[in-house]
Amino acid sequence: MTEKIFLILMVVLAFIALNTQKLRRSVIYLGIFSLVSSFVYLLYGAPDVAIAEAVIGSAISTVLYLVALKKYRVFTIYYTNANYNQIRDGYIIRGRAQILREVESFFVRKEMEPQIIYTTEDYKKVLAEENFDLLIHQDYDQVRLYGNAEDYQLDALEAHMCENPNELLKTEFIKFEAGDKN
Amino acid sequence: MNNNSEIIARMTGLIYPLIIMFGFYVILNGHSSPGGGFQGGAILASVFISRYLVSPDKNLKIKSLRVAEKVLFFCIVMVPTLFLFSSEQSRIEIVHLTYLILMNLLIGLKVASGLTIIFFRFVFYEGGK
Repeated sequence: MTEKIFLILMVVLAFIALNTQKLRRSVIYLGIFSLVSSFVYLLYGAPDVAIAEAVIGSAISTVLYLVALKKYRVFTIYYTNANYNQIRDGYIIRGRAQILREVESFFVRKEMEPQIIYTTEDYKKVLAEENFDLLIHQDYDQVRLYGNAEDYQLDALEAHMCENPNELLKTEFIKFEAGDKN
Repeated sequence: MNNNSEIIARMTGLIYPLIIMFGFYVILNGHSSPGGGFQGGAILASVFISRYLVSPDKNLKIKSLRVAEKVLFFCIVMVPTLFLFSSEQSRIEIVHLTYLILMNLLIGLKVASGLTIIFFRFVFYEGGK
């Protein structure tokens, strides 16, 4: 009788984990699911498997998923402009650059938090020294986006830009290997 | 990850020794009770993984852990071989007990270092950050 209750609870937890809006919550539900399933193993007389399931399912894999989510959630974007001397402060506050608005809305739709840093440094210096996910360099209507070749979010961004091209700006993607920087 | 919760940091520091003790208990009693090398090793690895939640810095020596894992794997291969060839005259129970505990300990340490390497490798070197 007891194990039937827990088996039904497992199905309910799996359903909840599939249907939650936020990924982080569904990871937590998956951890609870593992804990309940390890208890069911214990009821069926397999304590060895129960220990392994409890440790790996609800401790190690949960932390691993949470770290993976954390790694890809905040997206650091550097924005440099070749002719920044002609831009006044009001320009940045009032109307953002068109390309930045598009990129930002793309990442917001992907449930990530774009963190945009405006800088007056030369883009080569930023490329060499800073730790970034995406570097946007604008020279009048010529926009160059630098990114890591292994980052799959950038592939999605490139596909999105190709589908909805901007008629005013010329965009160009430049990707480098992971070992190049740092 | 610089906004760590104070409560989690303190409590994890408090239960470290208990987790380590439990892991070694599961390993050393694996021959007579549920548990064993793999489960105990996973528990020991969870110590290092929860250590990342407390202080996410890079001062863990992954290279030496990797060497330790290789040495332990070599031992896991060699100890049963030696035991097989030398057990002609020693059919006493205490020898078998020692052999079981030694093998469980070796497997546990190997699993712990292997899972730790996997985790820290993923955290620090994968994903372009």
